[in-house]
Amino acid sequence: MIAIEFTIIVLLVSVVGGILGSILGLGGAVVVTPLLTIFLGIDIHFAIGASIVSIIATSSGAAAAYVKDKLTNLRIAMFLELGTTCGAIVGAGLAVYANSTLLKAIFGCVLLVSLVPILMKIGEDIPKSPELKGLAKRLSLQGSYTETNGTVVRYNSTRPGAGMFGMVVAGLLSGLLGIGSGAFKVLSMDLAMKLPMKVSTTTSNFMIGVTAAASAGIYIVRGDVDPLIVAPVAIGILIGALIGSRLLPRTRNPTVRKIFAIVLAATALEMIAGVFGY
Amino acid sequence: MNALISGLLRYGVILSAAIIAIGTVLLLLSNGSQDISQLVVYNPNQLPHGNFDPSLGHMFAGLVALDPQSIIEFGVLVLLATPAARVLLSVFLFTAEGDRTYAYITGVVLALLLFSMLVTPYIPGFNH
Repeated sequence: MIAIEFTIIVLLVSVVGGILGSILGLGGAVVVTPLLTIFLGIDIHFAIGASIVSIIATSSGAAAAYVKDKLTNLRIAMFLELGTTCGAIVGAGLAVYANSTLLKAIFGCVLLVSLVPILMKIGEDIPKSPELKGLAKRLSLQGSYTETNGTVVRYNSTRPGAGMFGMVVAGLLSGLLGIGSGAFKVLSMDLAMKLPMKVSTTTSNFMIGVTAAASAGIYIVRGDVDPLIVAPVAIGILIGALIGSRLLPRTRNPTVRKIFAIVLAATALEMIAGVFGY
Repeated sequence: MNALISGLLRYGVILSAAIIAIGTVLLLLSNGSQDISQLVVYNPNQLPHGNFDPSLGHMFAGLVALDPQSIIEFGVLVLLATPAARVLLSVFLFTAEGDRTYAYITGVVLALLLFSMLVTPYIPGFNH
């Protein structure tokens, strides 16, 4: 396939990746990585380099809108970023010792297992707000946002320690595999910290950029970030993130959760299939 | 506070996209009809793994020469800078708001991020 065909295909698929990723708090890599490795036969290392760029593009591309809409909780994001950046540094360093097939298998299984609590909450709109106490209270891990119909939603968070643990794991995955941190972040905030779904996805969206940036330096110096591949990825994702970030505020929490569940299942199966050589 | 961070991200992203777009157009004008397997080559046994030199020195020389790959790389670096820039901005904004706890938390995140972007890539054990 010639370069110009390649560029257009990657660009168009990246737009879709950007839309989905920005709505769900994931990096567009969820869509872009299988395209590159399975359909276009690109070496996995280049695909990881491209996914790091796509994650940063999804994050910065959409966050501009979410921060302005006050969906993203800046304090929760900053606090949790302590965990993700540490995890990412350690993860990128350990990547050489890691058996990535085993990691993907474990990651895929964990994602599948996490489907269960997500599905159990499938109709939930706003979680019953837990009482703010302890570390969550001292760090003001709470907030509010306004739905497009004018309703003001106030929320608290709970179990910041568990959330932080999830963030360290998310960071490790990002450094080791170049992908996966968004899903873990959303899961940690949704299940452990009990934040509303749209707050979890937009706050995750804000954080994944920092996590990916923490691993990016190493991948660039290794030469895993190929200009010809990452250029259409970056532009496509940015366009997609622009579109997605306009759609999310108008989408209801239960709908976001349902789409998240579907993409989570697809990602898990894709990870596991990858282990068997697909 | 939100508006400033939002604005920074938006303009950073637009700038990055413009630079990358220019580089892509130039690249396709010169190499668009070449087969992808010749342009994208992964060498596991050499560092860097690709058939291009990602070092900053090479990139700046390439920018002056209007080399498309260097232009794209520069645009990607601008994109990579956006998360770091917004963390830096947040340190100032939290300080201005008088929120010392979060100014410190954000400061630590910034330090970790700068360390990971500027130091760890050059630590021997991290490169392979």
